[in-house]
Amino acid sequence: MKGNGHIKRTLLGYFAFCVAILIVPIFISDAYLLNKFARYLVFGLLSVALSLSWGYAGILNLGQAVSFGLGSYCMAMALKLRTIPIQTGAGGLPDFMVWNNVQTLPWFWEPFHSYAFALFAGIAVPVAVAFLIGWFIFRARVSGVYVAIITLAMLVVINLLIIDQQRFTGGFNGITDLTTFELFGVQFDAYSTALYYLAAIILSLTLLLGFAFVNSKTGLILQAIRDDETRVWYFGYDVANYQNFIFCVSAAVAGVAGMLYTLVMEFASPTFLAVPISLSIVIWCAVGGRASLVGAALGAIVVTGVQGSLSDTQAFLDTWMLIMGALFIVIVLFLPNGLVSMLELIWRKKRPLQGSASARLVASRASRAGQATGHRAVSSR
Amino acid sequence: MIDIVSQISVGLSIASILLLIALGLAIIYGTMGVINLAHGEFVMLGAYAVWFLQTYLGIGLFAGLILVFVLIGLVGWVVEWSLIRRLYDRPLDTILATWGVGVILQQGVRLAAGAELRYVKMPDALVNPVAFMGYDESAYRIFIFVVAVALLFVTYILVFRTEFGLQLRAITQNRDIARCFGVNAKRIYSLTFAYGAGLAGLAGALVSPLKSVSPDMGTNYVVDAFLVVVAGGVQSLLGTVASSYLIGQASGVLAFLSDDTMAKAIVFLSVVVLIRLFPQGLFAMRVRRS
Amino acid sequence: MTINRRKFLNGAAAVGAASATGFPHLWIKDASLAYAADSEIKVGVLYSLTGTTAIIETSLNQATLLAIEEINAAGGVGGKKLVPVVEDPASDPATFAQKARKLVVGDKCASVFGSYTSASRKAVLPVFEKYNNLYWYPTLYEGRECSKNVIYTGAVPNQQQKEFIPWLVKNFGKKFYLIGSNYIYPKEENNVCKILLKQLGGEVVGEEYVPLGHSEFSAVINKFKSTQPNVIFSTVVGDSVVALHRQYKAAGLDPKKMPMASLTTSEEEIAAMGGEFAAGHFTSAPYFMSYDSPENHKFVEAFKKRWGKDKVTNFVSEPAYFQVHLFKQAVEKLGKGDLTPPAIREASWGQQVKAPEGLVKIDPQNSHTYLWPKIGEAQTNGQFKTIEQSKEWVEPLPYWAYPGQVCTPNGLQEKKA
Repeated sequence: MKGNGHIKRTLLGYFAFCVAILIVPIFISDAYLLNKFARYLVFGLLSVALSLSWGYAGILNLGQAVSFGLGSYCMAMALKLRTIPIQTGAGGLPDFMVWNNVQTLPWFWEPFHSYAFALFAGIAVPVAVAFLIGWFIFRARVSGVYVAIITLAMLVVINLLIIDQQRFTGGFNGITDLTTFELFGVQFDAYSTALYYLAAIILSLTLLLGFAFVNSKTGLILQAIRDDETRVWYFGYDVANYQNFIFCVSAAVAGVAGMLYTLVMEFASPTFLAVPISLSIVIWCAVGGRASLVGAALGAIVVTGVQGSLSDTQAFLDTWMLIMGALFIVIVLFLPNGLVSMLELIWRKKRPLQGSASARLVASRASRAGQATGHRAVSSR
Repeated sequence: MIDIVSQISVGLSIASILLLIALGLAIIYGTMGVINLAHGEFVMLGAYAVWFLQTYLGIGLFAGLILVFVLIGLVGWVVEWSLIRRLYDRPLDTILATWGVGVILQQGVRLAAGAELRYVKMPDALVNPVAFMGYDESAYRIFIFVVAVALLFVTYILVFRTEFGLQLRAITQNRDIARCFGVNAKRIYSLTFAYGAGLAGLAGALVSPLKSVSPDMGTNYVVDAFLVVVAGGVQSLLGTVASSYLIGQASGVLAFLSDDTMAKAIVFLSVVVLIRLFPQGLFAMRVRRS
Repeated sequence: MTINRRKFLNGAAAVGAASATGFPHLWIKDASLAYAADSEIKVGVLYSLTGTTAIIETSLNQATLLAIEEINAAGGVGGKKLVPVVEDPASDPATFAQKARKLVVGDKCASVFGSYTSASRKAVLPVFEKYNNLYWYPTLYEGRECSKNVIYTGAVPNQQQKEFIPWLVKNFGKKFYLIGSNYIYPKEENNVCKILLKQLGGEVVGEEYVPLGHSEFSAVINKFKSTQPNVIFSTVVGDSVVALHRQYKAAGLDPKKMPMASLTTSEEEIAAMGGEFAAGHFTSAPYFMSYDSPENHKFVEAFKKRWGKDKVTNFVSEPAYFQVHLFKQAVEKLGKGDLTPPAIREASWGQQVKAPEGLVKIDPQNSHTYLWPKIGEAQTNGQFKTIEQSKEWVEPLPYWAYPGQVCTPNGLQEKKA
């Protein structure tokens, strides 16, 4: 059981993080850098989404990119319908539909003329898909690696279908050439401070809300499910419902991240819904510390930040990938609980505990270490 | 009009390739619980090894196979000794570690050997097709099928009929008790990981004359391999065989009836349904993990 | 996990290493990020050096750098040195867009040479249009594009198919099986092919698309066997080309009766599959490495000398090479005038250069290039034998199949009926 002091301290850490990301534009005004950082923040948000499922509920979702991609496509569809067509012959049709000889706008594109609908869909569609998948698998008490494989398989299927249905989705090219998003009179150009603030505010809100959530009763039940699913069943909780619930919450957060990503990148592409990025999310979470929301966000920001800097530098053009691989290995070996454990170590150095508080902390660490082995997830029933 | 012989031929061929690639992963994941995301890269290394042997040392495919098995097995040994062995208590961290290894291997090969597609020669004896019940099947595909079955047989003997296999199964069921009985878990794990890696390398070497060799060829295989292993049931060799066959045959038939894109989508969806019906895979095993 | 000094130091070292290597701006002076001096012209080079499409894109990078070095060795562009700013977009369209912006806005390049896949071109297009820069795109593509910020030096469908399809029908027959990778290029080329076939009374016995990177073709080959086409019109790309050709021959199919006719099989893929698997199949392209012209011999020799004697040139690396020379001529034409991308674009109209494939010209109408389509038959030695050669250069018509539209210097326009 975490003591109140621990929670307060962690909350302080969260606040510090939020403040840190919110004040960045005061020091940086280069539009290119702001866009890059906004991208990292979006990845941070995506990582938080996975952390909710994986770190707190033990559901390894290898297909988190599905929700992410669906959210990004919803936003792209809305923006595309408002783009003044540059290379189209027919009125009102996105250019790629014209190239594919489509005559009329498909029915499921029509509602995206409204931003309100698009924003709603960007969350609702990923949640609906997640709900269906979750209801399908959690009811059957599928767990551990089997859940991971199912989510991965669904990702591949959806990716294939989106690329195949080129006439409706832009296929492999994705949906490019989008107008600038505008809400309440504010233009969210991809290289504007406004967009950076949007990303930072959404990330901060999600972190704080998420923190409140994981420390609530529901959050504790989910952590109990992660630690020992069978026991929670015996306590009378409908575990499948809880799992599906957090699965959908993750999907919603990822959907929001997807919508932001379209704004940051100025297009939507099936690469947002593909295996490489989906596995990357797992990596970010693992690097940052999956059982901590702010850790997950930090992991994403650090990994993609390092990756971005290295690949931008001429000297590392050939070797940046090698360095990334080496960094992952180093972190696994020396920081098994992710980067956040490093911060905790520093904190521990400064404020050594005494007595029962220390015992409580060791106990909570032990349960975290137990969760880290994941052996619960792999055991059979 | 579906010709049964041709459909079964295609199905067996696809299945045997899947089995080859999945076998190493099945061994490693099934016995050690290590999620080896670098498995695809071991396959890729096998392909590059056989290319290297052929191009620079003049060693043909047949002779090269044993060498490739040993070489990639050695690579696996080194990876296990330096990295994986520290992670047995935390299998989920093997994801990150093996991902790092995979990234390094892929970029390393790209830097050392270039990014272009590489040529591996198909042995002349196997280039032409063999007529079989009115159907022309590629001799090389038959060769792959034969090797896959042989490796399966060897693996079965190894796991179920040798002392090593007995110890391995003991560790898989309950590591601590097995160690109490004097089983050297560390050594068994090293050998097993090396064996799994060697199998992967062998798979890469075998498919390379039929497909192509590039630094990122592994990434396509690793998803399929995991699907096969998990759908079959994680600790079950028979399960891996069964799911390879089912998935391979289904892919072949569906691709013939519609197209490869739809076939892949349907097969993957079917696996999802399969796991729903068999939440522990086709052949579930009871183990207690320590 | 116990808290101890050693773990802490290890952890600190890890993070320290991460930050230090991660933010090299702190300790590496990177000259290429400095603003261009007066005696230099910066150009962006945007081809993937890692990832799936690095297979071909590295050769494009190499061809571009070769051309730049040649130009600099000969005195530069009007006395100024060309400075390449090389970026690696890692085969990812999102990264392409980011790097493009860096090159255009951050590095202030006068032009950027880049892209192989249409997906990457589409991803970077908004950057070039927004900042009014100029993108030189060397790859054969599906046409139907008319951007005022791109110069297209690759072939478009009318250049690749108008002579190819009739030749195939005449020599092999009217039943075609269309197989391609699942994205817009094959689909559009197949559209054009179907239009041509219809005119010739041909028949499409099958049409399908395989996922990118797909390498298992046994089911497809079964379909060839059961539908018995006269020609297999192939627009699969990358690894799939190699796998398809090998499995085709291993299954016993005969290129004399059922040849594969491709727009995408080049010397690179043949080198990877082995000459014996390629022999007897056909490719239509404006350029083959074996083409007998003094310019081509010089190009191939220089390329091998610079990058390795086992390297091959192909019909994408050749345009990547000559487009840099066209760029040079355009800039020299500007002379003392303002060096802006739109000015370079206008100066490039009508520019001609003796490329390895023949004399090429940038069409002032649509910024595409007049090229010399050829039909080549692959040989066991890995090279193509040129069977047919167009008598004169072929005008690029990116909207050839769509009579209602025409590409003009001011963008796409509808033709009044």
